[in-house]
Amino acid sequence: MISLYKVSYKNILRKKTRSALTIVGIALSAWVLASLMGFNKGYEAALNKDIDNMGFQVMLMAKGCPYEAATLMLKGGTGLRYLKESVVASILSEPEVERITPMLMQAVFDPNKGESGGISAYLGVDPATFPNMKTFLEFKQGKWFTDPQSFEVVMGYESAELEQREVGDKLLIPEKNVELTVVGVLKRTGTQDDGTIFLPINTVQKIFGKEGEITSVGIKVKKEADISKFEERLYTIPDVQVVSLAQVKQTIMNLMSTAKVMVFSIAVVAILIAMVGVINTILMSVFERFQEIGILKSMGAMPGDIFKLIWIETLILCFLGGVAGSTMAYGLSKVTEILVRKLLPYAPTGSLIQLDVKLICITLISVLIIGLISGLYPAWRAASVRPLESIRSDIN
Amino acid sequence: MKTTTRYIFSIASICLFISFISLSSVLVLISSDTVHAAVGCDLNDPDKDVARLFPDSTGYKTVYMSIDKQGGEPLLEEIQKRLGDQFKGLYETADVPYTVYEIYKGKEKTGYIHGVNQKGQYGGIQVFLALDMEGNIRNFYFQKMTSRAAKTLRESLFGSQFVGLNLADFYNYDIKTGKTLSPGKVDNIKNPSPEAESDFRAALRATKKNLVLMDEFVFGNRFLK
Amino acid sequence: MTTDQIRINSTDTIDIKTDAIGIDSANTISINAQNLKKIYRRGSEEICAVNEVSLEIKKGEYVSFIGPSGSGKTTLINILGCLDNPSSGMLSIGQKKVFGEGKPLSEKLLTKIRRELFGYIFQKFYLIPTLTVIENVLLPCIFYKKEVADIKINGNNSDVAAMQRGAALLEMLGMENRMDHLPGQLSGGEMQRVAVARALINKPEILLADEPTGNLDSARSQEIGRLLRELNRKEQLTIILVTHNPELAKSADRIVELRDGRVFV
Repeated sequence: MISLYKVSYKNILRKKTRSALTIVGIALSAWVLASLMGFNKGYEAALNKDIDNMGFQVMLMAKGCPYEAATLMLKGGTGLRYLKESVVASILSEPEVERITPMLMQAVFDPNKGESGGISAYLGVDPATFPNMKTFLEFKQGKWFTDPQSFEVVMGYESAELEQREVGDKLLIPEKNVELTVVGVLKRTGTQDDGTIFLPINTVQKIFGKEGEITSVGIKVKKEADISKFEERLYTIPDVQVVSLAQVKQTIMNLMSTAKVMVFSIAVVAILIAMVGVINTILMSVFERFQEIGILKSMGAMPGDIFKLIWIETLILCFLGGVAGSTMAYGLSKVTEILVRKLLPYAPTGSLIQLDVKLICITLISVLIIGLISGLYPAWRAASVRPLESIRSDIN
Repeated sequence: MKTTTRYIFSIASICLFISFISLSSVLVLISSDTVHAAVGCDLNDPDKDVARLFPDSTGYKTVYMSIDKQGGEPLLEEIQKRLGDQFKGLYETADVPYTVYEIYKGKEKTGYIHGVNQKGQYGGIQVFLALDMEGNIRNFYFQKMTSRAAKTLRESLFGSQFVGLNLADFYNYDIKTGKTLSPGKVDNIKNPSPEAESDFRAALRATKKNLVLMDEFVFGNRFLK
Repeated sequence: MTTDQIRINSTDTIDIKTDAIGIDSANTISINAQNLKKIYRRGSEEICAVNEVSLEIKKGEYVSFIGPSGSGKTTLINILGCLDNPSSGMLSIGQKKVFGEGKPLSEKLLTKIRRELFGYIFQKFYLIPTLTVIENVLLPCIFYKKEVADIKINGNNSDVAAMQRGAALLEMLGMENRMDHLPGQLSGGEMQRVAVARALINKPEILLADEPTGNLDSARSQEIGRLLRELNRKEQLTIILVTHNPELAKSADRIVELRDGRVFV
């Protein structure tokens, strides 16, 4: 049996190219909408994950102490100041702290590096806590040292390549004349870890005679904790400086929100264009079928029936466009992501666009709502056609 | 039903077309992106180093070569054969970029500087050779060396033993045994630090590899037997 | 007896007793018009398209209206067919007074009267090109299914019954082999036959045919003329025909000629 839906659907088939183009228009705006919502969700998640991947959000160190190997080398290996190892226990007792790891950075002058010598830096880390904080570090070869006293070393990819080291090779610390065994080579991470040489912290303390001393403490803060309050308390410890990634994240998020406003206005424009397209298409088809609608009315169709007929046509177009657009958004999310990555000043690693069933549903519903609104005027115009006028326009 | 299929088909083809355009634009974007490759061996401070190794030079040009780009697998095979040893380990691969410094005196090209990474006993060794236009060694330089004997080996006395030699002399040196096949100039290169025998042999291997690569890359295989 | 109560306003109610109209054997008059008048305004000018027309059409009668263009025959048939309100005068269909209370009827109310009593065919066939023949015939059933003697409408069976009726109509019109064709595959005469089937699907009392052969050649016109004659005889269908075609007009029981909005005898 024939139904109103079937008639609506068949009506769409009457002008195939026009309907198809309208659907493509709707699909494109649905794609933009879904991708943007996915991006909105994905970017922050990816950023959070990146910051999580750094292992710790807060780093505590002695005032004026360089906290990364690059800075240390620029300063010529000088300027190291120390914290007492006991500070670790007191920080660990703070309620905001989830995990903590002490570190000791040391450097030697290597006269056989380049024409006038260079600096080699070594980072002492705690084998019990450090690998757990930096779980994203992957090994090209080998694994972490486990014995805190061992003379073993794990090398970041670039430092390993410079020294041409593989697992099982020996590494000499110049000046100290100490031999270490390479137990692990890390994969490239794109971070400063690539150039770092990791040793057990106790070994570094022993080699360099710095027992009981550390240069910095990495702190992982609990997710729900108020980082800024916690930082304020950390500053009450004498002679420390606090480097917080929370500030970095805040800065990035502020930058992003400006970009988001722009991107969302583009989305709104895209949706408006699609909406005008839908109204235009449906209105055209209503005008073309003026007489036919009049005949339907003479056959007994109520204004409500005609309104429904036209509204359903709009909905079918929007539904098809919405489904096509959502599928495109889902299927091409990797492509969209690469595009977005190219456009962004800073893009975290990990998936930037997170599309799930919920977002796809929201997109579909939004597109349908847009369709319902766009269909109102054409449907009303069609419903108010008088049968007499349409028939007379034919005869006379 | 037939019309419906055709309809769906036309929508699908339009969608495909759009995806194709977006995909291709993305591919164009990607192709301009450089991928992380292996690290080569560059001079730390090229301006100063070139002036020191070629005191009469007035300028230099940098050219990048790699076995992958210059000839791929067959070239790698040939180089290994000429070297008399296999490429081994994580870092000695066909995609390593080699930096060749072309040295100029005025407009005239007077020689080359080229360095290679070599695995030493306690760390990496970087051997740079300054060559004249005939492929003879003008200067020998360890840019970096991690070894207990580094101080002795880096003295100019050691490097001066290489001056004047070329690939023809090093063909006579067997990397695997560390001996010459017949008495030759390489025999005159003495190790000043007997306890660092492995690093000494690493230096000789690096020199021979450096010369073979240069013969392939710039001298047009003039020393190929 | 079903009663469709249509409220025009709080004080004025019209009851259309579906099986009281026409089917009532005591009443042989199908349409009764008294002093119908229709005035249009074109700017400041008043045009009287229908001027004091009174006429009676009996049940089962086949009447054709002829007259030159502008004679007001289309306006008259629109009023008789409840597609339009008269400016003044009285119209009753069966026993029921439709117009004459001094108030024009709303669009909705006219629609309810139309779908209960009338079937229409027009010069252009207005078949939906993407629907098949049988789907076009069943189109009015989307909006309204009338309960008629040979369709027992019981819930879901109404669809089956309507389809059976549609198929039976097409068979009667000699179109049974064309049911699943699209209108584009039919000749003009066949398309008009589909339109006739569509007009008859809800078993109207009165078939209103406005220039049904205007788009057809003479052979096809004759065919439609024969068809109308047959429907009138076999089904006792009241037919009101408007035409330019004198041959076609002759197939009717009675010819009413209109000139300048008046019945010319």
